[in-house]
Amino acid sequence: MRKYTSAYPALWRVMDVLEGAFAAVWPKKGGNYTPYLMLAPAILLVGTLVVGLLYIGDTSLRTLDRTTFQFSDFWTLDNYTRAFFESFTWTIIWRSLMGAIIVTFVTLILAFPYAYTMVRTTNSTLRKFLLIALFLPFFIGQVVRAYGWLIILGNQGIVNDVLGLVGVEPLRLLFNYPAVLFGLVQYMLPFAVLMLAPAMTAIPEEIEAASTSLGASWIKTMTYVVIPMAKPGLIGAGLVVLTLSLTDFAMPAILGGGTQDFIANAIYDQFFRTSDQGFGASLAIILIGIETMIVGLIFAVFGAGTLELGSNDS
Amino acid sequence: MTFKKTINRRQLLKTSAAAGTVLAAPSILWAAEPAKPAELIVRAWGGPWVEALKNGVSDPFTERTGIRIIHDLTEDNEIQPKVWAAVAQNRTPPIHINWDTTTNATKSALRGVCEDLSDLSNLAGTTDLAKPVGVEGYPIVNTYGYVYVLAYRTEAFPDGPPASYHDLLDPKFKGRVAFYNDGIGFHFPAQVAGGGSLDGIPDAMDPCWDFVTKMKEQNPLLGEDPDFVTWFQNGEIDAACTISTNALGAKRNGVDIAWTVPAEGSKFDTDGLWIPKGHSESELYWAKEYINSAITQEAQQVWLDGLGLPGVVPGLTPPEGLAGDPSYPTTEADFERLIRISGKTQVEHESEWFSKFKQIMQG
Repeated sequence: MRKYTSAYPALWRVMDVLEGAFAAVWPKKGGNYTPYLMLAPAILLVGTLVVGLLYIGDTSLRTLDRTTFQFSDFWTLDNYTRAFFESFTWTIIWRSLMGAIIVTFVTLILAFPYAYTMVRTTNSTLRKFLLIALFLPFFIGQVVRAYGWLIILGNQGIVNDVLGLVGVEPLRLLFNYPAVLFGLVQYMLPFAVLMLAPAMTAIPEEIEAASTSLGASWIKTMTYVVIPMAKPGLIGAGLVVLTLSLTDFAMPAILGGGTQDFIANAIYDQFFRTSDQGFGASLAIILIGIETMIVGLIFAVFGAGTLELGSNDS
Repeated sequence: MTFKKTINRRQLLKTSAAAGTVLAAPSILWAAEPAKPAELIVRAWGGPWVEALKNGVSDPFTERTGIRIIHDLTEDNEIQPKVWAAVAQNRTPPIHINWDTTTNATKSALRGVCEDLSDLSNLAGTTDLAKPVGVEGYPIVNTYGYVYVLAYRTEAFPDGPPASYHDLLDPKFKGRVAFYNDGIGFHFPAQVAGGGSLDGIPDAMDPCWDFVTKMKEQNPLLGEDPDFVTWFQNGEIDAACTISTNALGAKRNGVDIAWTVPAEGSKFDTDGLWIPKGHSESELYWAKEYINSAITQEAQQVWLDGLGLPGVVPGLTPPEGLAGDPSYPTTEADFERLIRISGKTQVEHESEWFSKFKQIMQG
């Protein structure tokens, strides 16, 4: 009779040894705790963030003595008082918040048809092109992209060169609020598409076909079928774009011409320009507070289930 | 005649001791210098700044001592918290020597993280400019001065240089002027332009803020050193309050640019070198030697030719075209047109000045 030497492959034997070793250090009784063990990396990550946050919170409660450049030994709310009473703080908070909302709105409007086309097209060449166009920006850093816009939109840039051909004087297209928002939309678009595409894929094409066969126009199908079913993707993409835009540093710094600071720029200034880490930390805590409130509000309105994170509790 | 030389024990000891001293002299002298580290890390600004330092100070130092110099191009503002944290935690600081603005360095001196440099032998040959104002001793050695000039594109001012910052309020310069994004270099001339006096700094600076508010109507661009060169090169601006080195850099790159000290005067400031506490005795010794070598006439001549700035040792030859230039003050008359405020006053108030400037410009 032929002997099957490969009936118990070598790899299985290796796995047996590993399993035996694991059983030696992790007794059978502990098997119930295995899921918790798998949570360890997440706990480590969140724990590190929490420790950092506690450190920032502690720093925010200490004021800088400008005769010794040391921080106070005691806690005080002076940095928060200063932040709340300085009109500049409110200016940058308002600018950042409005900017983030506008960028989110515009990005979602642009990302939706992109993601829809990418998922639904039957033309493989077009799908490949859209995929390449989606992933290519991820290989180029935000700062490089911002500098790219300086070349394109500058006084001696490509756009002004083209306008010059038809006799238009060079226009100041950079160093203003719209330029910052424009740069942010371009930066955020791939993130939004990437978040929307799985949600689109999850919508069966048959449902759209059923809607059309029941007499709904394409617009009605979109409005009453596709968009409501894509809500988890829209909310997820919106959250990512909103929070990333709200905390962005590079676009306001490079495309804003120094006059369109967001909160992150103000925090940087306090940490690195005036050495007042206490005041910078208080601004950071305020920013985290604003973000947490926004995310909490979105969950309260739409429910965590909308993001397909569990049962729909909305 | 026979000459009989007898050598007694005392003579033998004397002779041996003398011979031993002569033979050992080089090694005794050598021992006076602590062991050499393989390298020293010097924080520096990039581009033409680090090139000038390398040519004038670092390369000759390496040639003389064999110690390699590594230039760390981390921004001065960003290295500061790292150095402060290292000293506070008794760790070795990430750099041996910090090339820093005197204002920034004064903060570190007030915090007590700077080594004392009073014993540098070459300090004896320097001018008063080498001594930092408002701090005890020499926690920093100033190495040169610089002027925040009013740089302008000559094409935009066909009738000659702008005589005053008021000239920039002309509507034709709307969106065509630039300042540092924290207003540094502009606060003090603005105080004068707004009708105030320098004695009003820091307690009565309303004239400064009034003039900044007027200037805001011109929608100025606000940036950092590299931005000014780029903006001039790309034709984005016609005038800027900037360090003369940036204007010189743009000119050397072929931009048709000139600079002036306007009627209100221009801020004069200094940069310097300092050593953070926490290094070993030998590293400290050689780091001091590096700074000592940076304030020799030979080193200053090459270093500052590259930067186009006046040094702190007498007898330097101005770079070509800069003799008598307002950005290269050497005589008392030159300094009369410049504004110099103590580093201590600046560090104690700059945060509120920066905030106020930003509040106005971004409001």
